[in-house]
Amino acid sequence: MQKWWTIMLFVMAFPFIYLCMNRVFHATVMCITMNVAIMLVFIYAPTEKVQGIVQKIFYFHVSSAITMFFAFFLVCVASIMYLWKNSDWWDAIALSAAEIGVVFCTLVLITGPLWARPIWGTWWSWDPTLTLTLVLWLIYVAYLMLRIEIYDPNRARFAAILGIIGFVDVPLIRWSVEKWRTLHPKPVLIQEGGTTGLTSAMLLTFLVCLGAFLLLFFYLLRERISIAQSRHALEVLRHEIDEIL
Amino acid sequence: MSKNSNSFIAPMSGSKIFLQQVLALLEKDLKTEWRTREIFTSMFVFAVLVVVVFNFAIGADPELIRQVASGVIWIALSFASVLGLQRTGRMESEEDSLQGVLLALHDRSALFIAKMLAQMLYLLMVVICILPLCGIWFRIDFLACIGELCLAFTLGMLGLSIVGTLFGMIALHTRAREVMLPLLFLPVSIPLTIAAVQATAQLIDGKSLRDIADYLVLIGIFDVVFFVLALIVFDYIVEE
Repeated sequence: MQKWWTIMLFVMAFPFIYLCMNRVFHATVMCITMNVAIMLVFIYAPTEKVQGIVQKIFYFHVSSAITMFFAFFLVCVASIMYLWKNSDWWDAIALSAAEIGVVFCTLVLITGPLWARPIWGTWWSWDPTLTLTLVLWLIYVAYLMLRIEIYDPNRARFAAILGIIGFVDVPLIRWSVEKWRTLHPKPVLIQEGGTTGLTSAMLLTFLVCLGAFLLLFFYLLRERISIAQSRHALEVLRHEIDEIL
Repeated sequence: MSKNSNSFIAPMSGSKIFLQQVLALLEKDLKTEWRTREIFTSMFVFAVLVVVVFNFAIGADPELIRQVASGVIWIALSFASVLGLQRTGRMESEEDSLQGVLLALHDRSALFIAKMLAQMLYLLMVVICILPLCGIWFRIDFLACIGELCLAFTLGMLGLSIVGTLFGMIALHTRAREVMLPLLFLPVSIPLTIAAVQATAQLIDGKSLRDIADYLVLIGIFDVVFFVLALIVFDYIVEE
């Protein structure tokens, strides 16, 4: 339990780091951290006894899973702030975080089965965590589609509502799939990839890896927000030209 | 602003006006529906079709069908609910009747509650008509646990109509309404579907109310959370 709080605090520090860095510095730090993370994963971290080399995917899988949850959390916060303050900046954050969150969610859904195939002996099992991730993917893909499909000028508001609802739904989905699974227990389930009993070398590797993923997330977020803002500025200009003509 | 304009009817308390408006809107919807029976008929026929098609997909093994019956019924109800919401949405967007209603309202959440109650009543009617049919086709005695089933279905229908009405209103503003509504509605209602299917399946198996209490609590919490959330965000949906 204590370990979870440490990781939460670690993750929560990144928005502040993000706000303190400029773009070039951010890119540099990100490149260095990513390279260090790869070296740590493949050279420094010990190979796990039972699972062997397969366990290494844990560093990427869990890091992208945590980044994904953080992204969706950010969508929810930005959506609430948008409804409250009605500023386009918050909307740009919600849209960007949702898009990148879906990318990381897809990564989780790809790396998960890659690990599960040799360890569980099956590509997919309806384990609560897997099911939750899949449902989240569906909800946020719907979120992105909603943003495309709305012709209303107030589309940001509808998207914001879905952004909030989607995240509020997470504990309910989690609860329901857990209850649903306990009714159909599968004997093949093993504790997920080494979350219990990480050695300190593994934990260090994991944290650096998580840091690299979060830096990547924030870098993509930064770029995506600037695209969203340019697009918005372009729309405003176009509107002005239309009025003049 | 709205407070000032309504101050001359101060002797009537706010909640009483609210209740009257909800009832008036509900009466309007039900009256329209009674004259055409459009929404109920399409929902019911569609639900029957889903049950029949699933019956063919599963095969003729009576034991297997018994096991999946509750799932089939709830899928039929979710799909029928989407269909009903689409018809309601089309009726509202014709000639901008929604705008007229919104202008007349003191508190706009009255519209949400009325629409939700109407949707719930249609769904309950579909349930009442479809359960005997499923009982006969799947050879299940629903009468043995009818009281518990009523509770489970009422709670479940409430949740489906809350989420459905909310997304139905959002989908009104999209280009491909027919596609967007199920895309939004089905994934978000997954917790409800899981809990409701399990509760119904266990009741059919002869379990008591105490055995399924967990599921009913889950459905209840789903209802409460989304009801409160819907009331908070509804103003943002209908705001111009």
